[in-house]
Amino acid sequence: MKEKVFDLKNKALEELKTLSKEADVLNCKAKYLGKKSELNEFLGSLKELAVDEKKIMGPLLNQTKKELEEAFSHKLEEINNQISYDFDETLPIYVETGSMHPITLVTKEMTDIMKKMGFTVVSGPEMEEEYYNFEALNIPKDHPARDMQDTYYLSNGKLLRTHTSPNQVRAMQKYGAPLKVCAPGRVFRNEDMDANHDTTFFQIEGMVIDKGISISNLIYVMRSLLSETFKKDVKVRLRPGFFPFTEPSFELDCSCLICGGKGCPTCKNSGWLEFCGCGMVHPNVLRESGIDPEEYTGFAFGFGVTRIAMMKYKISDIRVLNSGDVRSLQEFEIE
Amino acid sequence: MLISCNRLKKYIKNASDIDFLTIWDDFTLRVAEVEGVTVKGNDMDNVVTAKIVACEKHPESEKLSLLKVSDGEKEYNIVCGAPNVRVGLIGALVRDGGMVSGFKIKTRKLAGYPSEGMMCAVDELGIGTDHEGILELPSDTPIGVDFKKMYPVEDIIVEIDNKSLTNRPDLWGHYGIAREVCAITNHELLPLELLELSNDKKDLEIKIHNPELCKRYCGLKIENLQNNKTPLDMQIFLYYAGMRSINLFVDLTNYLMLELGQPMHAFDARVVKSIEVKLAKEKDTYTTLDGVERVLSKDTLMITNGDEYFGIAGVMGGLDSEILPDTNSIFLESACFDAGSIRKSAVRLGLRTEASARYEKSLDPNMCDVAIKRLAYLLKQENPDMEIVSNLTDVYPNPLTEKIVVLKKDKLQTYTAIHFSDDQVVASLESLGFKVKVLEDAYKIIVPTYRATKDVSMDADIIEEIVRLYGYENIKEIPLKLELTGKEEDTIWNKEYDVKKYLATRYSLNEVHSYLWYDSSLLKACHLEKTGVTLLGKNENNLLRDDLSLSLLPVVKNNLKNVDKLGIFEIGTVIVDNENKRRLSILLADDESKMMNLYYQAKEIVVSLFKSLKHIQVDFKKGKMFSYYNENLSNEIIVNKKAIGYVHVFNGECVRYIGKKKAMVAIEIDFDKYVDEDANEILYENISKYPNVTLDYTILTSKDFKYDELLKILKPFNNKYVKEYRLVGTYEDKEVKKYTMRYILGSEEKTLETKEIDKFKEKFMEHVAKNGLDILS
Ligand SMILES: [Zn+2]
Repeated sequence: MKEKVFDLKNKALEELKTLSKEADVLNCKAKYLGKKSELNEFLGSLKELAVDEKKIMGPLLNQTKKELEEAFSHKLEEINNQISYDFDETLPIYVETGSMHPITLVTKEMTDIMKKMGFTVVSGPEMEEEYYNFEALNIPKDHPARDMQDTYYLSNGKLLRTHTSPNQVRAMQKYGAPLKVCAPGRVFRNEDMDANHDTTFFQIEGMVIDKGISISNLIYVMRSLLSETFKKDVKVRLRPGFFPFTEPSFELDCSCLICGGKGCPTCKNSGWLEFCGCGMVHPNVLRESGIDPEEYTGFAFGFGVTRIAMMKYKISDIRVLNSGDVRSLQEFEIE
Repeated sequence: MLISCNRLKKYIKNASDIDFLTIWDDFTLRVAEVEGVTVKGNDMDNVVTAKIVACEKHPESEKLSLLKVSDGEKEYNIVCGAPNVRVGLIGALVRDGGMVSGFKIKTRKLAGYPSEGMMCAVDELGIGTDHEGILELPSDTPIGVDFKKMYPVEDIIVEIDNKSLTNRPDLWGHYGIAREVCAITNHELLPLELLELSNDKKDLEIKIHNPELCKRYCGLKIENLQNNKTPLDMQIFLYYAGMRSINLFVDLTNYLMLELGQPMHAFDARVVKSIEVKLAKEKDTYTTLDGVERVLSKDTLMITNGDEYFGIAGVMGGLDSEILPDTNSIFLESACFDAGSIRKSAVRLGLRTEASARYEKSLDPNMCDVAIKRLAYLLKQENPDMEIVSNLTDVYPNPLTEKIVVLKKDKLQTYTAIHFSDDQVVASLESLGFKVKVLEDAYKIIVPTYRATKDVSMDADIIEEIVRLYGYENIKEIPLKLELTGKEEDTIWNKEYDVKKYLATRYSLNEVHSYLWYDSSLLKACHLEKTGVTLLGKNENNLLRDDLSLSLLPVVKNNLKNVDKLGIFEIGTVIVDNENKRRLSILLADDESKMMNLYYQAKEIVVSLFKSLKHIQVDFKKGKMFSYYNENLSNEIIVNKKAIGYVHVFNGECVRYIGKKKAMVAIEIDFDKYVDEDANEILYENISKYPNVTLDYTILTSKDFKYDELLKILKPFNNKYVKEYRLVGTYEDKEVKKYTMRYILGSEEKTLETKEIDKFKEKFMEHVAKNGLDILS
């Protein structure tokens, strides 16, 4: 009989565990503790037992009854503490999100890096004076370098800037030396459009002027900037280049981002990717901006943000960027 | 530009020490960008000189001949279709198993007869374009000799990026490239062989009218030229370098251009009377060598002969002076023109030639006479009996002399952060043809004239020469000291980013970029006659935008092909009154029936933008910007009593342009003003210890009564306990409108007493009733 009581108790507790509705618990309670329950029958038959047995079974039955009652009331309390609801909680979630332009995201990332390096972000006008776009940058009229850039000239005698370099002069004239600025901006070239060329694209200009600035500093800044931008250790190398507003001028290559320098189709097996033009600021440009080239030296660089955005997001057609097509632009999530 | 390594080797002492396949990586790092290196001659094998010893017609074919060809050891049966076959002709035979232009040649039957190889035409050999007949070699050519051994078929051709030579006039010829190769490999550059001229004859008649445009003009007349056939090795060189062989005289001028970078001209001396260099008359016409009639301008520098135009200086000659098959005397021109003038002429005429490309780079006038002496030397090799019948006539009004540049030693150190020894500096500069005098704290450098026309004029240029030869890759990086203080931050960029992020995250709008100019088809479709700044030389899409929202309509139109509703924005430039302005435009589009929602969403965006990012309260005032916006639904945005932009709704013509029944609401904010507007400081405000009282009043009005009018009534009602009042609900049916206003009353000093509240209630009811409105209770 003792065992039967134990089994009964375990059975009741097991059953209780599986229940989660109040009504079920009450039914279950009636089943195990009600008038017609087995336990009640045991209690009823107690007086028919021998004294010895009565002494054991009496407390056991009462103890069992008490434990079960506690278990049931505990369970009922638990259920009553749950807030009841009656809706379908399994519906899917749709979040409508906006987007920022990939150029905005990449520019932000790069200017943030440059700010950490101590650069101030400046900006200048898209419709620019010939003086700032050319003359002040040591590109006189009929200089063949003007051929390198197909310029949009305007009916009011101005032009659309062909590069962000006018910002160099504007910043030097505004702030003087020493100076450490970067200038993101939109530039324009009168070119036929294809998957790799658009009339309108973005660059970032950078410039450092101080006493004793050397080519070694330029290499340091460019390598740090690129390593941070591409989040890996890249190597840079300088080659002779030609820009009228720097002397010496360099083409800067960075180690191939795909193969790391071993050689692959992207880098035409050279291990290097052409990244940007740079150089030591031309003494004429310093002089034009009111800075004494005998006292100060500096370097400047300018690179295409559009190209970096295309590399980063694997955009194969540049025309997507100015298309305004939200289906393709929505892909870019905000960090 | 294409460079032949065979040719380079001729100018370099001990050139065999140099690996001409691998040197070009160094060249790219030290001099200019190499775009490609091509090995020539690998596709030719088993080709020998051979003589036709028998020749008969094919019995059934008009064209074919049956040849017996001897290489001195064996006779081969060859079936050949060339018209110039004859006994005794010495040509190039590719034997059985050999190869030309990559094609394997095997013995096979041709038109019924075995052919044990092939007699080759020039193009088949891959050394030219001629396909008139098989190659004819001089009659004294030994037979049975490997063709590749006898002629410079094997070569390495290097392509150098022209753009990277923009500032290096000296590198537009092989000799200049050889000088650089010598400098980077420590080799000696050999002098050119020239024909020394005695100059004991008469000067030619040459006159320069514009010495500022024509720096120098050299002429030489040569007669008794019997041979105008270009030797095969020179033909191969010209072909490899990208030029066509024409005849010896023309080929030599081209050769000199490829060798020294000096463009030259050979006129048929029979037609030359007197040469003058002067500007053309405006609108005159002149037919150039290519048969095109050109309209000249008063800025076009011309070569004239007698009274007639003879050539466009530095660009192209004419038909009259062309070398003819019977030409046996020539007038050689070697001149130097002003770079800017030639560039302008070439651009205006749309005629960029090999010559003009070089003149544009500012050539060294001191090259003119050297080029003539060099050409005369080479011409004499082919015409030993030629007679020089004039002086080397040299009109050189202002001779260019060597330039002196002083480079301070500490400047070199500053630029590079490297300590160079005097020996290092002297050695590298001398290898490039500079002369150096070492002073105590500086170098005095004599710049050769071939570098002095433009490229090297000051100390920074000299630093470039020293450092590029040292090797940029050998420069160690040095961290930039961060002591430079940042200038006061130019905040426009940050604010742009903040606004973009707010709009994208808070309102799920999408940022777009569009062009600075209006789409012409938009203006046409909307019948808009806008004026403003235009792009020169363009007829379409040439008007710069003055309304960013309008310029975004094509973007909206394209997107609405794919989606039903849209919310986009751009921060971009517009041009207003000849000035750059920065604007923020937000465009919302949805179905026509959603106009009210859209309109209030637009207003909400404006209010929320200023509230969240600037803590500024915005007001709206009726007003519009352009006729294509709706009269009633257009508002000026007022911030701190200043108009800062618009919320407006596009009118019908713009909606028709979209091609769908849509509502389009635009926000246009002057972003420069937005940036300038200081954000309000948020000050801590004590929260009252005493409880507030909230009272809601529902005011009944007529159907057409606007909130704006209600506000005009409520505003003048003053009570010192009113902390705030606002609209919390509206109701509208067919007849009436109801506005529920919430008033919050309170005091910083005490809990309001019932009688004070009652007094407010009474006064308020009175005020409303006085203005003819009912309050529902
Ligand atoms: Zn690679």
